[in-house]
Amino acid sequence: MLEAFWRRVFRFERRKARDGDVVLTLRRVYILPARAGMAFAVLLVLMLIGATNYTLGLGFALTFLAGACAIADMVLTVKNLAGLRLAGGRAAPVFAGDAARFEIALHNGGSAGRYAIRVRFGTDGATEHPADVPAHGSAALALALPAPERGWLRAPRIRLETRFPLGLFRAWSWWQPDLRVLVYPRPESPAQPLPVRGAASEEGHGEVGLDNFAGIRSYQPGDPLRHLAWRQIARLAPEDGGQLVTKHFEGGAVAELALDFAQLPPHLDLELRLARMTRWVLDAEQRALPYSFRLGHHHYVAALGDAHRAACLAALALHGREALP
Amino acid sequence: MMGAGPLTRDKQDTLLLVAAALLVIAPHFAHLPWWIIGTVCVTLLWRVLLTWRGRRLPSAWLLLPVALIAMGGVFRSFGTLLGRDAGVAMLALLLAFKLLEMHAKRDLYVVLFLSFFLMLTNFFYSQSMLTGLAMAATVVVLLAAQITFQYTGIVPPLGQRLRLAGRMFLLAAPLAAALFVLFPRVEGPLWGMPTDTPGPSSGISDTMAPGTMTNLALSEDVAFRARFDGAAPAQRRLYWRGVVLSHYDGRTWTRIGGRLYRRDGDAMTLRVTGKPAPYEVTLEPSARRWLFTLELTPPALDVPGERVGVTDELESFTVRPLHRRVRYRAAAYPEYAVQPALDAALTGKWLQLPPGFNPAAYELGRTLRRDAGVDDGRVIARVLAMFRKERFAYTLQPPLLGRNAVDEFLFVTRQGFCEHYAGAFVVLMRAAGIPARVVTGYQGGELNPVDRYMTVRQSDAHAWAEVWLAHRGWVRIDPTAAVAPDRVTLGLRGALPQQSPFGLAALRSDKDSWFSQLRFRFNAANNAWNQWVLDYNPERQRNFLAELTGWVVDWRALAAVPALLALAWLWRQLRARHRRDPVQTAWERFCVLLARRGVRRAPDEGPHSLACRVAALPLPDDKKAAMAEFLALYAALRYRALDDDERTRSARRLAKLLSLSR
Repeated sequence: MLEAFWRRVFRFERRKARDGDVVLTLRRVYILPARAGMAFAVLLVLMLIGATNYTLGLGFALTFLAGACAIADMVLTVKNLAGLRLAGGRAAPVFAGDAARFEIALHNGGSAGRYAIRVRFGTDGATEHPADVPAHGSAALALALPAPERGWLRAPRIRLETRFPLGLFRAWSWWQPDLRVLVYPRPESPAQPLPVRGAASEEGHGEVGLDNFAGIRSYQPGDPLRHLAWRQIARLAPEDGGQLVTKHFEGGAVAELALDFAQLPPHLDLELRLARMTRWVLDAEQRALPYSFRLGHHHYVAALGDAHRAACLAALALHGREALP
Repeated sequence: MMGAGPLTRDKQDTLLLVAAALLVIAPHFAHLPWWIIGTVCVTLLWRVLLTWRGRRLPSAWLLLPVALIAMGGVFRSFGTLLGRDAGVAMLALLLAFKLLEMHAKRDLYVVLFLSFFLMLTNFFYSQSMLTGLAMAATVVVLLAAQITFQYTGIVPPLGQRLRLAGRMFLLAAPLAAALFVLFPRVEGPLWGMPTDTPGPSSGISDTMAPGTMTNLALSEDVAFRARFDGAAPAQRRLYWRGVVLSHYDGRTWTRIGGRLYRRDGDAMTLRVTGKPAPYEVTLEPSARRWLFTLELTPPALDVPGERVGVTDELESFTVRPLHRRVRYRAAAYPEYAVQPALDAALTGKWLQLPPGFNPAAYELGRTLRRDAGVDDGRVIARVLAMFRKERFAYTLQPPLLGRNAVDEFLFVTRQGFCEHYAGAFVVLMRAAGIPARVVTGYQGGELNPVDRYMTVRQSDAHAWAEVWLAHRGWVRIDPTAAVAPDRVTLGLRGALPQQSPFGLAALRSDKDSWFSQLRFRFNAANNAWNQWVLDYNPERQRNFLAELTGWVVDWRALAAVPALLALAWLWRQLRARHRRDPVQTAWERFCVLLARRGVRRAPDEGPHSLACRVAALPLPDDKKAAMAEFLALYAALRYRALDDDERTRSARRLAKLLSLSR
């Protein structure tokens, strides 16, 4: 309640935090007495009254010493935050509905350790992460943020707060890290079967499995590793003229796994179609089936691997919302 | 601290808090009733055991009745719950019980704040330097305990936490000192001064019987301290006038309580001549009302916060008994004449003698008068000669005297202390028809060469006589000086035969011995403590601040402030330059320079890739060469191992290249 009052009076919260890596300069650190600090002020007044009434010279000394300690605490509390350098770290993509994890690093160039810094996102209900930054060292933390929707997710403002060392004052600062996470659509569940269309299927024989082994051929880049014909490769060492060979599957070779957004029934919800595509990308990767991908103007030829997967998922995530928020 | 011991962090923290609380309560053990001490100890021990074993704290249903019983006990012990001592007892119990009832962080602050307040209350009972030191140490431990509870992750070892607390203390100390000096003081008390503990009264009393002074002579307590603006008067002139005793009942001298002095009073004339000696007295609390002045100080004392009265026997007193230290300034004149023209009719009260006592003494007085005729001076000289020539002794252990004390003293025992001599002298004078009275106070004082303060102790208590002589007024006669001249010139210690074992007394009386030096230094420190810490009252603050302002307005101080600021600024600049790596600075400037030419460095771009871009710039060849060399040298400085000498030279070259690249 009191905090809200101060917020209104000083508009502290409306000051814009600077983007990117920052050093928390003195001007960026705000400080106010904590509740314990206000109680301490009342105590000081009581002590002063007692010392005055009984003319206790040493009582005055103690009162002023306690007061001065509170002021020293104020300075040290600010110093606990000020001068801290903040840097964003990696942020791996996640699927919608999962929690995005933003890595941040706190660097302390000073010769005094900084303790008990509570870091959290400035959103309501965010969990606090305590951090200690040793002298001339750094601390890394990962802040989790729910990612309900696909697309880019920017890290919200981060609030750093400390009451160290005495807890009489509350110093805080805001930081807008330049961090974002790509949120992929949530994969459809339960999964639909992959839309495999072999040559045979076009003749009305239904889907053809991929397990009709039809010999080997020489390796070509892009062949899945699990299709390598290890037995044949092992027979001759490369220096003896051996070469990498890939198993060749009848039907599978001609069968093309094409993930085409346009082929999905258009009456389905857009998000559901994206979810299905996402699931298929994952399934294809898992089963090591090279797949081509087509969505809007994104068209990737059949391939496998992390880069391909990432490109496809990114296209799905950003479909219709290419721009950054 | 048991780093990896069986105690978890939580337990260690709690034990530190209990230790801090114990440090706070321990000084109170000196004056708390035994059962409270016991309760507090048991409670703290209980808390320690609970923590040690990892048990849960007792429930409120157990604590509440215990606390109520304890409150009842306080009421029984003190008869109240509100008085000062009862309040302190309650606070001590509350702190101990609160340690058993800690559930949230808020409770921790309650414990800490209670501790601070309880520390303050300890100063009701003691404010010595030692208490001050103990306070400082306790504050550091309290701070360490408070800091301990603030950590959220790493907790440094106890030593480091104590160091941090010590650092805070040192950071706070100058500010606290400044606040102490400058914070506007209000003259206490704010409400009625507590009267529950008036304390025993000490020092010169309003009566004198054989033994009164002897008791005081054994006390080393300080009566007051005095400081002279100039040189202190000679030891034999240091008669500190206190109470005048004019009524004698055969055994005890008492005041007659003279009329209040009026400056323009008919009979009260006072003439002072000579160069006055200004001085300041800091009187210790005595629970009595007497103020002491050096003879002879015209009665116009001003004691801040007190109403002062003066009788026509030149006694100064305050209306209220003095329970606190007071300070007053005065000036003493070496030559004076008090009531030189007193009407003979008014001197009757100083000739009073109780009938039926000391017949031999009365007879001796009458004989002396007959022999001397009208010459009062001869009577006095005869009596002093008698004390000096006959075998009178000055001793702290005089024999007990019976009903006719003066007779027995003069003709039988002939051993006595100042009160015997002064009393007997006044009886003889009165018997001879000379108005006389006993004056009690202090004689002498020890000058501390360290701080120039003169300490007057209870052992300096003295009694002397005053006789009224026509045209001269009241004249001081010290009959003790006739018997033991050393008492007046050297003080009590010099006058009494040495009796102390191990020659300690001899050690003490030697002013140059290391022991004396040490004692002087300690006394000076103690006195400074009293003057500046305990008695820093509004009046003293005003004086000090006036002095300080005078000093600050001094041109040297005025010049010093900007000079200091300039120095501080210079220091900052130097430090900032020192901290900045010159190589890095040159690199940053170079990047700015390039940016002006349209080459913006990408965050991941190093000197080598920049060099490629620089080569493509449309620039004169010499400039390009300088830039290329700059980048190569920077890369070398940054990424190659160089020795310091080489590094300095290269850094200089780098600066040169930077200016060439412009």
